[in-house]
Amino acid sequence: MTANSLLQVSNLHVEFTTYGGIVHAVRGADFHVERGETLAIVGESGCGKSVAVQSVLGLIPIPPGRITQGEAILDGHQILGHQTIEGKDIRGNRVGMIFQDPMTSLNPTMTIGNQIAEPLKLHRKMSGAQAKKRAIELLEMTKIPEAAKRASQYPFEFSGGMLQRAMIAMAIACEPDLLIADEPTTALDVTIQAQILELIKDLQQEVGMGLILITHDLGVVAGVADRVVVMYAGEILESGTADEIFFAPSHPYTLGLLSAMPTNRRDVVQTLMPIPGSPPDLFSPPEGCGYAARCPQAMEACVANRPTQFTVSDSHFSKCWLHHEACEHRVLEVQQV
Amino acid sequence: MTELSFRPVETAQDVEKTSRPSLSYWQDAWLRLVANKRAMTSLFVIIFLILFAYLGPLVWRADHTEQHLDKTSQAPWVNRNAILIAEEAEWEDVVVADPTGTHQAPMSVEVIGEARTTSVGLKWDAVPNAAGYRIYRHILEPKAGFPLGLPIGETEDRTHVSFQDRMDIQQKTYWYSVAAVDEDGKDFEEFTSVEVRPRLYITVGEALRLGYITDASKVEPGDTVLLDWHPLGTDYLGRDMLARLMKGAQVSLSIGIVAPLLFIIIGILIGSVAGFFGGAVDSALMRFTDFVIALPFLLFMILFMVWFGIEAGGSGIPAMVVALVLLSWPGVARLVRGEVLQIREHGYVEASRLLGGSNSWLIGRHMIPNTMGVVLVSFTFAVPATIFTEAFLSFIGMGVVPPTPSWGAMCNDGIRTMEKTPHELLFPALFISITVLAFNLLGDGLRDALDARLRSRE
Amino acid sequence: MPRYIGMRLLQGIFTVWFIATATFWVMHSIPGDPLESEKAMSPEIRANLEAKYGLDKNEFIQYWIFLGNMVRGDFGWSFEHENRRVNDIIAEQFPVSATLGILAIVFAGLGGVLWGALTALYRNKWPDVLIIILVILGISVPSFVFATVGQLGIVTLNKIAGIDVPVAGWGTVWHMLIPALVLGLGTMAFLTRLMRTSMLEIVNADYIRTARSKGVPIAQIFSRHQLRNAILPVLTVLGPSIAGITTGGFVVENVFGIPGLGKYFVTAVQQSDYGVIMGTTVFYGAFLVLMVIIVDLLYAVVDPRVRLNK
Repeated sequence: MTANSLLQVSNLHVEFTTYGGIVHAVRGADFHVERGETLAIVGESGCGKSVAVQSVLGLIPIPPGRITQGEAILDGHQILGHQTIEGKDIRGNRVGMIFQDPMTSLNPTMTIGNQIAEPLKLHRKMSGAQAKKRAIELLEMTKIPEAAKRASQYPFEFSGGMLQRAMIAMAIACEPDLLIADEPTTALDVTIQAQILELIKDLQQEVGMGLILITHDLGVVAGVADRVVVMYAGEILESGTADEIFFAPSHPYTLGLLSAMPTNRRDVVQTLMPIPGSPPDLFSPPEGCGYAARCPQAMEACVANRPTQFTVSDSHFSKCWLHHEACEHRVLEVQQV
Repeated sequence: MTELSFRPVETAQDVEKTSRPSLSYWQDAWLRLVANKRAMTSLFVIIFLILFAYLGPLVWRADHTEQHLDKTSQAPWVNRNAILIAEEAEWEDVVVADPTGTHQAPMSVEVIGEARTTSVGLKWDAVPNAAGYRIYRHILEPKAGFPLGLPIGETEDRTHVSFQDRMDIQQKTYWYSVAAVDEDGKDFEEFTSVEVRPRLYITVGEALRLGYITDASKVEPGDTVLLDWHPLGTDYLGRDMLARLMKGAQVSLSIGIVAPLLFIIIGILIGSVAGFFGGAVDSALMRFTDFVIALPFLLFMILFMVWFGIEAGGSGIPAMVVALVLLSWPGVARLVRGEVLQIREHGYVEASRLLGGSNSWLIGRHMIPNTMGVVLVSFTFAVPATIFTEAFLSFIGMGVVPPTPSWGAMCNDGIRTMEKTPHELLFPALFISITVLAFNLLGDGLRDALDARLRSRE
Repeated sequence: MPRYIGMRLLQGIFTVWFIATATFWVMHSIPGDPLESEKAMSPEIRANLEAKYGLDKNEFIQYWIFLGNMVRGDFGWSFEHENRRVNDIIAEQFPVSATLGILAIVFAGLGGVLWGALTALYRNKWPDVLIIILVILGISVPSFVFATVGQLGIVTLNKIAGIDVPVAGWGTVWHMLIPALVLGLGTMAFLTRLMRTSMLEIVNADYIRTARSKGVPIAQIFSRHQLRNAILPVLTVLGPSIAGITTGGFVVENVFGIPGLGKYFVTAVQQSDYGVIMGTTVFYGAFLVLMVIIVDLLYAVVDPRVRLNK
């Protein structure tokens, strides 16, 4: 954590008011991303990872959503509740975003070219012709063949993979400092997934932007992320470099996730271990650790007290009582599972 | 910080449990519907309307066809305490001396004695140079240049300055105007008016005739009798509105429910056959459906009503039901076909077929039950639409045949007297609106309750 | 696109043929004598009349003649008014009905889109609640009640404001406004409801979130992304709405004493003027089919998915 991170989010709490009561979707999330760095936020669906990031940018509907606590500093400026910093738009300009389902995330009655040109006209004050020209260049950058012709087509004329490329072109149109990719490959075929990830990675290096990759797929994370944040039931349980998370996980949940993930290594005879049970009810979150009910190493403290953050190394943190100095148990190692 | 205990606990390895009891599709939908206040209110309103139509006449026994020309267009809030009087006294003409002066109209018009619904006596002062007088009655305040209302009488001599009105006087405000006439029978330009509000009286003879009293010797003039009660007033022929509204409810509701039931059954048959068999059967049936849908609905409703003709004494109800069924089935057929096409692709149908299910079994056991949701919803929306159609046709005189009352026909009657007695239009219009509203809201509720997408989303 | 237009037109022609056929056989199977009237008729006059209307021929021949006439745009003769061609009646009365109908559909369409968009913008606040109550009224109250209440309203307004807005008849803009408004009310309510649902569905659409993530201002999201997509389902029901407004015109024309084709049709039915009934039914049918085709084509222009797929 450095003083001038690109984005620093601290102690973020987000709630949703629904007919069933108040959902505590995010319960104190801290994370940061540096310039040029890739941060992966992983977790099961419904764990609050998308909500955490979208609420920072003001993309959750308010009401029913509400940010009750926390702050988010982009490039030294508080951005919670702000649309602009120093008179310039944040969304679409400083921060670009890619969503999960490209089929529904593009306006069906507007040409692809116009949709890419929209942020250029808004934030770069380009004329229609300039924006159009730039949109075609962007489509070329995202390796869409016949970009000029494609620019005047509508979303329904594109395949899923092509649409996601167009989405990427749109998100990076204004050369943002930060790109947020919210499950960018989940809705795509496996063969296309790799291409899209590679494209995002290449563009990141080219433009030099920070990248937040939100995913539930650890396989996606392994090849791309510099650092990983593991989220569960609205809180961050563990964070560290990709190597630390994959080779020295220090939270039983991360361990569980890794054991549930198939590998392509032939030398390891592996049994997939599902995590039993389901995540806790976020209408009334448990008092102690959110994972305690499913955790094979759960202790009485875990049920009664919410774990504090323990430092495993300079870059590696875990919220688990197993790291408490008074505790004689330790997190199991990968091989022991 | 409190003492932390690091003793391991057993975590239930089988945390998965069903959070709520399993409900059938219809149970689930019913629970949803019950939770929807608007839909439930509407359901109760509909039940009330059905009771009103079919049990109402047992409670309120007034005859809906009986005409009372002595109390036409009576408002519901009218006073019913009539004062008995003996027979009207012989009318004595008021005669005055030949007038002098230059006035063109009587200086004043006065009511002689009390203004009663049995008779209103007027007298005025004479006008010089008049050949006689003409007396007018109007329910609006007369203005120069406008008609003075109904001419109810004339006197033939300028010294005869009184008049008695005994013509169908009701309990409302009248303006009597007196204008002098010249030798040619033309009115003078000026006139004089008086505002009169007659009190409700009834003669003993009339009360005997109508059965309010049985023995004339037991009553005395000045007693009050309570006249027949018309809670919602009477129509332009003096028929009881409440009884007519009940009868009209029977007509409107039975058309509104029976016709949709019939055309939905036909629609289900055609739609499920087309959807299930597909191919040539499907395209032939659907072409025909397209054609029928393209027919201009109301024009053909009118055409069919003309076609069936109405034999004397008929009500026109069967004709309307048949015409509605002939023209309305295609919508349901299309809907059911679409559903069946989807259901046909589902695994359970394939499974049933593999287990040896015959076509009729598949249609009857799988297709039709699974389309019942959408069919039920379209039924609740078809009812108000049909009631509207019936009202519309009856309104333009192409629907049920008088004297059969339907709400639409009653509206049509009510329009003539709308300005003076708005209740004749108001009540049937209100019933149509409430019925249509209730069915629409119930339909909304049912659709929400049965919507499978909603069901899985929550 | 030209192929699509051609296809729709061909379908339309078949539909009109079906309408004409249905009309012909329904009218010809009506029991009773079409030439029946109060005055006695000598056999010669009767024969002459039958010859004039073609009633002396075999029904199938009559049918072919009828179809041939329709193809040439000849809608036949009135049975009630001697020497009145249905074409002349249509030429005289239809423009009035069409003006009224177009005004009404413009009212209904613009009003529906505007109110629907407003309710969605102010969801669950008082403008939404108010408009919804009005919509429920508009859907539940029959058109003839609106018509009478509208007329009563003019009378009262005239009295209070001391102005002279015509209560009935036809001629000036003032004659048209209230009847057109009354005629459009039901449809407007229906369209408002549809527009509201459609707007609310789209507020939560993924592409609206995308637009927000691009930093598009709210006003522009509303106008460029939300409105256009929300209008599409409204356009699809515009075709059937035209049919509703056309027949609703019967009532409004009758109540307001407007000399349109609808009023004429109702009179013709009451007088059993078979010629006029047959001619106007086919004419109206053809008109409505044409309107539906035009709306479909309009829809194709607005929605690229339809335009490019067909």
